[in-house]
Amino acid sequence: MADLSATGLMLRPGARAFSATIGAGEILGLAGLDGHGQDAFLRSLTGLEKSGGEVALNGQRIGSFRDAERARIVYVPRDRRATGIFPGLSILDNFAIATAGRDRRGPLISPAARRARYEIWRERLQIRAPSPEAPITALSGGNQQKVLLARALAREPEVLLLNDPTRGVDVATRHLLYDLFRDLAGEGMVLVILSSEIEEILALCHRVLVFRDHGLAAELSGEAMQTDQVIAAMFGRAG
Amino acid sequence: MRVLGRYTFAIAILVVLLVANLVMNPARFHPAAWGTLLGMAAPLIGAALASTPVILAGRGGIDISVGPVMALVSAVVIKVLYLDHGLSSPLILWPAALLIGALIGAFNGFMAVIVRVQPIVATLGTYLILGGLTLTILPAPVGPAPDWLKAMAGGWSFLPLGVIGLLWWGLSRTPFHDQLMAVGSDDRAAYTAGVPVSLVRFLAYVITGMLAAAAGMMLTALIGSADPKVGANYTLIAIAAVALGGVSLAGGKGGLLGAAIGAFDIFLLQSLLTAFNVSTYVLQVAYGAILVTAVVLIAFQDRGTKRSHA
Repeated sequence: MADLSATGLMLRPGARAFSATIGAGEILGLAGLDGHGQDAFLRSLTGLEKSGGEVALNGQRIGSFRDAERARIVYVPRDRRATGIFPGLSILDNFAIATAGRDRRGPLISPAARRARYEIWRERLQIRAPSPEAPITALSGGNQQKVLLARALAREPEVLLLNDPTRGVDVATRHLLYDLFRDLAGEGMVLVILSSEIEEILALCHRVLVFRDHGLAAELSGEAMQTDQVIAAMFGRAG
Repeated sequence: MRVLGRYTFAIAILVVLLVANLVMNPARFHPAAWGTLLGMAAPLIGAALASTPVILAGRGGIDISVGPVMALVSAVVIKVLYLDHGLSSPLILWPAALLIGALIGAFNGFMAVIVRVQPIVATLGTYLILGGLTLTILPAPVGPAPDWLKAMAGGWSFLPLGVIGLLWWGLSRTPFHDQLMAVGSDDRAAYTAGVPVSLVRFLAYVITGMLAAAAGMMLTALIGSADPKVGANYTLIAIAAVALGGVSLAGGKGGLLGAAIGAFDIFLLQSLLTAFNVSTYVLQVAYGAILVTAVVLIAFQDRGTKRSHA
């Protein structure tokens, strides 16, 4: 069972160090005003950011992005256009790029195998696309996001780190994604979701970390997970 | 369909120039002479193919040392290996040529990808080093080339290009090709998706080096000797051919087929204007004009597709 732990993280020189652990099947929410460290925290869990301290999955140290990749910690970035999709490639290639080696039959890629693999995810995520060969830019924002999630999930992650996954996504798709995230957690995946919408975190997450000034301002769960509590912590008014 | 779209312009020019050439110069374009014809076009096609992988890899990837690699390979293979040491077997000379290309490509890749010198500067350094090195090995043209090599500019001229085409077709069905296009399209996204960006770029330089070496062999075949001065001229005209063939110089779009068509376009233009007895100075003007037109049209086309999907 997966168990992701971060100890003694310092998100910025001089900021308060803190620790956190996340267990299998848990959905952890990250909240805070933009630029207060939640982004840096999420990125340090993938080894993309060096924050002192130590990140470990099941006791195995994650020191770099390569380590994270090997440990199947998968990060889905926030800015879909800049760091997510490949505008020049087809939907199918956008989906398969992270797992291109799996479609090999002998040394060569089998287009049929790739398409079959895509079909499974298209169905599960209900991706609405004209055809797998269409350019990814032909899709709506929500469907592009689904393709990116399919790409990430095809790597069979132990830990899924989502940076504002429902940004610019329509309501129907949001609810589909919420159900998907709950299912994935039910299967034992660790999910960490950064969201700029408090309601989303409250509806979806088991626990929330609220960040302020690059430090952990509050950790809320159960009864204490209320909009006003989260907002208070975000603005540094927590009791 | 979309792939063809990028090549529309190059293919249109191809058809027009081919018809014009057939009318103007029926003897030279007679089917019986196609082997020789392809042999004459081969060095430029080879140079254009060689320039393509690094350009596809994006972030300013370019290799201007392709021409000098061709000259160096020619000099080493003919002067050092064939004439000085009497090695004439294709089974020795071809691997030797490819090894030289791969080593130079690896050096370029090391400078551009690991040390992170801007590719144009890194390969300019290689361009100058190789130019001097070639003249040191071979101050003046020598010959001849082995007979089997000369045959590769005649009836067998389709062989090296055919092998390259076949290998690339195979490569385009491996994960490497997908990763190359992804890296060229957006390297940050590729990195986040778990693509080994630096390794892919490095390999692109190595492939470019090896293709440049193959182009050097085709050049040697065509002139039937080694000439230290002709190789370098191919660098810029090959990049023009690549752009004409619809390969985006920003990376991630296009392929070897486009580059080959672009190179053949330029070759046909050359032979057409020569048939008209046009001076080589005017030829340069024609290259430039057709290149600018092509790049502008492709840019408009790109903008068009982007808008229709936005």
